[in-house]
Amino acid sequence: MTPLVALNTLRTRIVLGEAALVAGLVVVAAIGIGALRTVRSTAASELESLTAVSAQSNTLVTTLFEQMRAAEQYLADGSMEAHNAFRAGGEAAHASQRRLQALPDLSESDRVVISQIETLQAEAEVLFSHAHAQLDLGRRSDALAGAQLAREQASEMLRLLSLLSASQGARAEATARSLEQAATDRELLVWTTLVASVLIAAAIAVATLRSVERPMARLAAAAQRFGSGDLRPVALGAMPAELAQLGDAMYRLGGSLRTLVGEVVDESERMATAAEDLSAISEQLAATAGDVSTAMEEVSSGAQRQVSGLEESSSAAQTLHDAADDAGRASRKVAELGADIHRLAETYASDIAAASKALVELRNLVQHTAQQVEELDRLSEPINEFIDLIKQISSQTNLLALNAAIEAARAGEQGVGFSVVAEEVRQLADTSAQAAERVSGTIKTIRDQVAAMGETMALGRAQARGVGSVSQGAAEALRNIVRSVEEIETESQRVAGQAERNLTEIERIKLALRSASAAAQAHASSSEEVAAAAEQQGASTQEMAAQATTLHRAADHLRSLVRGFRS
Amino acid sequence: MHLAACAPSDQPIVIGLAGPFSQQTGQSMQLAAQLAVAELNQRGGVSGRPIQLVVRDDSGSVSVAVRVARSFYDSPDVAAVIGHMGSAATLAAARVYNSGDTPIVSISPSASSPDLSQAGPYTFRVCPDDRVHGSQLADWAYRGLQARRVAVLYENDAYGRGLRTAFRSSFTELGGRIVSEDPFSPALPGFEPYLTRIRIRGGADAILIAGALDGGQRMLNTLNSLQFNPTVLGGDGIGGIETANVGAEGVFVSLAYLHEQPGARNEAFRSAYGQMYGEQLPDHRGAGAYDIVYLLGQAIEQVGTDRTRIRDYLAGLGTETEGFEGVTGSIGFDSNGDVVDRNVVIGVVRNRRLVSAERR
Repeated sequence: MTPLVALNTLRTRIVLGEAALVAGLVVVAAIGIGALRTVRSTAASELESLTAVSAQSNTLVTTLFEQMRAAEQYLADGSMEAHNAFRAGGEAAHASQRRLQALPDLSESDRVVISQIETLQAEAEVLFSHAHAQLDLGRRSDALAGAQLAREQASEMLRLLSLLSASQGARAEATARSLEQAATDRELLVWTTLVASVLIAAAIAVATLRSVERPMARLAAAAQRFGSGDLRPVALGAMPAELAQLGDAMYRLGGSLRTLVGEVVDESERMATAAEDLSAISEQLAATAGDVSTAMEEVSSGAQRQVSGLEESSSAAQTLHDAADDAGRASRKVAELGADIHRLAETYASDIAAASKALVELRNLVQHTAQQVEELDRLSEPINEFIDLIKQISSQTNLLALNAAIEAARAGEQGVGFSVVAEEVRQLADTSAQAAERVSGTIKTIRDQVAAMGETMALGRAQARGVGSVSQGAAEALRNIVRSVEEIETESQRVAGQAERNLTEIERIKLALRSASAAAQAHASSSEEVAAAAEQQGASTQEMAAQATTLHRAADHLRSLVRGFRS
Repeated sequence: MHLAACAPSDQPIVIGLAGPFSQQTGQSMQLAAQLAVAELNQRGGVSGRPIQLVVRDDSGSVSVAVRVARSFYDSPDVAAVIGHMGSAATLAAARVYNSGDTPIVSISPSASSPDLSQAGPYTFRVCPDDRVHGSQLADWAYRGLQARRVAVLYENDAYGRGLRTAFRSSFTELGGRIVSEDPFSPALPGFEPYLTRIRIRGGADAILIAGALDGGQRMLNTLNSLQFNPTVLGGDGIGGIETANVGAEGVFVSLAYLHEQPGARNEAFRSAYGQMYGEQLPDHRGAGAYDIVYLLGQAIEQVGTDRTRIRDYLAGLGTETEGFEGVTGSIGFDSNGDVVDRNVVIGVVRNRRLVSAERR
């Protein structure tokens, strides 16, 4: 059974707080209105009662005075008019007293006072009547003496009348006081209720604020943990429904980040491995370049020996054949290494792209990396052309070797050694062609990997501060490697050029069979140039090795960075 | 019929009795009430409980009557009050009895002011009011005594003025003339100027004394000393004047009750009263008080001692329930708490006794 109203949402709590405040205000208003009504109705009824008593008292006083005046007048003039006025005044006074006594709101002491007034008035009336009778009988002095007694009663009566007025005044005062007290009591009640409702509302507000602040603090702490790289799952605890949604979102974000960082770690590991591979191949390449250089030197010395021992052309041709063989092999090796470098650079670029995309989530960086990859792809085109060229060279070298063999056969006894060399050159050309074929296959593999890397890059997404610069550095290193590869290619082309020139030279050897000495000399100088080119290639290879080291360091840095994420 | 088994206890039923018992006029009221209570208790009380009279003397004074009324009102034990005697005291006390949350019944044996009719729902009386007395006296004066000029001396209180007004109204209607109306009170130095003035202004066929016994006696004394012998009439206020040694022979008095009126109940009452108190005769106040004791006894037996239920029972007497047959006659109440269908009798003093004037 779910409750009708969810108490754990901020909205409900705020509404409850408002409702408490409003309810309190309504109660305050009701009490205030009630107090006003009570005070008003009490005041009205008291006023009415006081007015009635006061009106009847005034009538009584008036009629009593009128009667006493008439009594005195009769004593003075004995007129019938005064007599009638005295009688009428008496009747009116008695009626007034009856009406006064009939009023419901009179206190008992007031009733007693009124009774006493009535008695005194009756006495005064009797005494005046008696005096009037004396007067009627001509006993003036007796009448005046009797009237004096009546006046004493009358003055006592007037004293009681003033007492009654004072009592009414006191009652009015008491009424005012009690009304004031009632108003004060209600006012106190109003204030108490008001303060209580404000306190309740404040308590609810404070509770609501706390139920916001505490979960917010926990959420902030969790976010800071994520920011500092601690991606382990966070227990956020109970919180209002709205914040619980935010908490869930953060929990899911943490999970996504952990997955992503895991991928990045894998990628960086792979990159590091690739960098190591690259480094190893660079060293191998440097060694191979040395081999080329050595081989070309050998070609050179072989040529020189050919010059010196043209007559013993068999051995010299043999030497030339070996040297040409070495040069071909070296060229093939260069091609292979170039392919390896391209592949590794490409792998590296792929890793960098994946890492930067995953960590920085910067589309432009990803695009930049993608451009790099495309450029790499584009750069592999010249390698293909280069391989074609090597194939062509191999083919022509093969033809040249065939021609050389024919020419050696025609040279007879003197050309026997040279024919052996020519055979070796031809085999070298075959081997070069095969190597070119393998390089071609390798390039294709590289291109496939480039495509795969594009997909990997699309997958990688993450936010990691500082990774941008690292990946930029890595990208820079990649560009340097690519430049190095370009230089290697240049150098390789130069080797190829030299090899072509060797062909020319061998062509000229064909002519030099007649003037072998000059040809052999020219051949020797060409071989020296090849050696110089090979040395140049060796220097480039060293530079590439240095770049591989940089790349390795970048990979290590990247690896340490992602290691900072604790997942 | 004994209802003793139903009584919650032997606690006495308390009834208040208030009147001017230190004065001569109040004596019969107290004696008769005590007689009735003694008779009832001798027969086993009411519902098995004895009746206890709490007697308070109000001196006939308004202020004392109010204090007495307050003390009865504030005692929860007091089930009802018999009293008061005069109109002024009864009216003042009635305001107390009818006030507040626990109003209490008071039944007067003799308060005859017309104002008492409006005193409140808890106020009853078993005597006719002054209008009845006034009209009966006027009728007697005009028809019985053939008087045409009547001088009125009235006590200057509610009773005297009420009786005077009622008499004047009836008498002038019959064709008679009021030659003078003079007030008196205990403070009056003397009746002589009034009576001399009446005399020198042509005299009167009769003099009505509308007041209490004391004033009546003083006036008779003055008449005596002046050798002035008009016919004298009076209301029940001067009841008892027959025993006063003031030459009251021939004075006519209007009475709610005359001891010699017929009826077995009255016979029994007179004999018991005589047995208890010797040669004295009960007056109308005594007869009324005697009836009230028995009436309250009957009411309490029927509805218990609850003040409101007693009032309701009394209010329905003569309409919802059969009227109570008492010494003074059948008692039932109208909506004002006044006894219904009660006429007065005119008595005359013969040999220091009041006898019926009609049977002269």
